[in-house]
Amino acid sequence: MFSVATRRFAFSAFKSAPVFRAATPRLFAPSLRFYSNALTKDSIVTKYSAGPIKVAYTEDHEWVALHEDGTAFVGITKYAADALGDATFVELATVGDAVEIGDSIGSIESVKSASEIYAPVTGEVSEANQLLDSNPGLVNQDPMGEGWIAQLQVGPNYDLSNLLDAAKYEEFLKSDH
Amino acid sequence: MAVKGKEFSTSPELLKTCFHDLHVSLNATMVPFAGYSMPVLYKAHTHLASHKWTRTNAGLFDVSHMLQHKFSGPDAVKLLEIVTPGDIQGLSDFNSTLSVLLNDKGGIIDDTIITRWDKDTFYVVTNAGCRDKDLAFLKSEIQKNGLSVNHEIIYGGLLALQGPKAAQTLQQFTSADLSKLTFGSSTFLNLGSFGDVHVARGGYTGEDGFEISITDPKAAVDFAKALIEEKSDTVIPVGLAARDSLRLEAGMCLYGHELNESITPIEAGLAWVIGKNRRQLGDSAANFNGAQTILSQLNNKKELVFKTRIGFTSKGPAARENCDIFVRDEKVGIVTSGSPSPSLGGNIGMAYINKPYNKIGTDITILVRGKPRSATVAKMPFLQPNYYRG
Repeated sequence: MFSVATRRFAFSAFKSAPVFRAATPRLFAPSLRFYSNALTKDSIVTKYSAGPIKVAYTEDHEWVALHEDGTAFVGITKYAADALGDATFVELATVGDAVEIGDSIGSIESVKSASEIYAPVTGEVSEANQLLDSNPGLVNQDPMGEGWIAQLQVGPNYDLSNLLDAAKYEEFLKSDH
Repeated sequence: MAVKGKEFSTSPELLKTCFHDLHVSLNATMVPFAGYSMPVLYKAHTHLASHKWTRTNAGLFDVSHMLQHKFSGPDAVKLLEIVTPGDIQGLSDFNSTLSVLLNDKGGIIDDTIITRWDKDTFYVVTNAGCRDKDLAFLKSEIQKNGLSVNHEIIYGGLLALQGPKAAQTLQQFTSADLSKLTFGSSTFLNLGSFGDVHVARGGYTGEDGFEISITDPKAAVDFAKALIEEKSDTVIPVGLAARDSLRLEAGMCLYGHELNESITPIEAGLAWVIGKNRRQLGDSAANFNGAQTILSQLNNKKELVFKTRIGFTSKGPAARENCDIFVRDEKVGIVTSGSPSPSLGGNIGMAYINKPYNKIGTDITILVRGKPRSATVAKMPFLQPNYYRG
């Protein structure tokens, strides 16, 4: 299970280490005018089924696209990808891991910064985007499509109620976050 | 997703270099850095692209935020031999040496490049972030030691042109033969309509290159524009983001990260800044600040040096500044700089680590965002330098 790392290791020295979850830095924050945080229409995250039944966003700049069979694609928003800069490495989730909301399901690195990816919904990791192993730049080219990070299989009692819809996310970006 | 980035100091009243409007016109992302508003990235070039361009062509950096000093007078050598451990007396005209400003305990107040212009005149460049304390320190050292030294600040533009195509590009602006100017030397150069400038061959990327001081701000800006606009096949403007990753690959220290006032040059792996004639405790030449501590360490590393600066490599998520280093379950060090390496792939970094874990090849564990990651102590520089030695 890909839970918060401090719980996974027996070394006493590691137990007290904080897991930080810092705010998006302003360093590379792009102007608000240029990005669209909508799913890429002709990509797998849309075409996986007749179309997602729900698309939602987190304040950590992730998106989730839930399809009817319970498959939820997860990735980072265009805003986040632009803020991160060129991705140099993506650590992928382990298929089969059961994850709860807030658990780490991987990380993305650029030269300047690093970002933990958190499960936006409870479920089981059913796929990780292996293309990112050899081509992390896909996260920049198409963050809301072919640059998806993981697929989670969610149960019937999934809860996306704490997440933002597209309009609320754009509003959130305009606010001080 | 949460993003952890490098923090830059913020200040309500940011200073601007003479190139500020040019940066803005080039759509640079400006950030507060050492009290200045400085470009971190330009819109047309990503961090990776800027980095790689500098390694293959030439990157143009605005480094005017750094402080340029001129020391002159009969006691200039004496001053520099008190505040640094370098062999200043033995420095030839128009030659430069990297050195460190030292406090009485042997700690590093700043790192610096010292260039001799003539017997009693020196051109010295120090870090922007240390401006206020350096000025106070130098003033007090001159007074305290009763020295006859004239200390002036040189204003204007300071540009670094770095990369394998820096020389062929700069050569197009001057009739002087740049092949005669080797790494670590400097000269006054006529750049035609841009006037006379001071050019030092060297830099902070590990590449061949030049640091060009142009005191007339208008000429400086015009020259930068000429490089960017007329030599766009070889030159792009490059910001602080790539400057940091380039210097890290070159194994170079960044003040406030690898160097500070509680670290000695010996611990920092900079014993070579100590002049050969200044290494014997008790000698009259061993009279620089902190000589007692530094030379004791130099002559008895085994018993007096407990930690040292190392390089390391790793795969996976990069270890960054302040990550703790472990061997088995004992904390043995801390990361001072770290990031993926655009040129080499994988991650690189620098750290202070307790002996004996500083040995090249030692397997270490670094805690990265709560998870232990494997890393290996590695030789620096990570990338072979490409200096022009004639």
